[in-house]
Amino acid sequence: MVEHAVLYLFVGLVLLGGLMAAFAGQVLYAIIGLGVTLLGLSGIFLFLGSPFVAAMQLLIYIGGITVAIVFAMMLSTSMAMRPPQSHRGKSALAVFAGALFFAAMFVAMRGAEFPIPTGALPADAWAISRIGHLLLNAYNLVFETLSVVLLLAIVGAILIARRERKAA
Amino acid sequence: MTLESYLVLGLVLFSLGLVAALSQRNLIAVLIGVELMMNAASLNFMAFNRYVVQDPAVGQVFVLIIIGLAAAEVAIFLSIILRLYRQRREIDSEHITTLKG
Repeated sequence: MVEHAVLYLFVGLVLLGGLMAAFAGQVLYAIIGLGVTLLGLSGIFLFLGSPFVAAMQLLIYIGGITVAIVFAMMLSTSMAMRPPQSHRGKSALAVFAGALFFAAMFVAMRGAEFPIPTGALPADAWAISRIGHLLLNAYNLVFETLSVVLLLAIVGAILIARRERKAA
Repeated sequence: MTLESYLVLGLVLFSLGLVAALSQRNLIAVLIGVELMMNAASLNFMAFNRYVVQDPAVGQVFVLIIIGLAAAEVAIFLSIILRLYRQRREIDSEHITTLKG
């Protein structure tokens, strides 16, 4: 019973944060909404059986990405502080597009059938060590490619964001 | 909660992200919408991983890879925002139309 209450609390956090991020006027509120959503998702991942992914979500998303977005917001202050201009036509169209997408996917989902696996899982199916084995054996190529992508992203970000030297 | 309710939650989150990415004018808020959509995808992966897939480690590996790719994407996006702000003193998506045909 308590477990259900906590799970629905996390679901509520996800929805609340999503609404904040989608309809916030100020960027700061949108960032707070993103953080709340990520926190709720981390809790839901816990309920879905993976404490490791929940911890990574907390560390990388909330600890890294959200903080980086806050820094970028502070470095582009004038836009962030300017009172938002209302733009009703665009917002209404965006909400319409979102609702349309929701309806289409919902109808598609109702018709889908998902196979329920039979047969018992091995005892160590949810062990963290299995993730490590998969990352370094079956998915080693993906893992290494991802590290190269991250390195290139860091180098590219520095190249893009650095100050140009004055042309002589 | 059943698999379907997790999928509906992911769908709601994706739609909210879509609304944010389409309606917001500040580029940082647009980035937040994209992040919401990526997280909806992660939630779907984790739900399928829990209820449908035979080997539950595979979905977790997928979600970890999604998190890593999101980190790279955010780094590039934020550096572009900083560059734009330094050159033009604004990051309003309605005014940045240099590439418009």
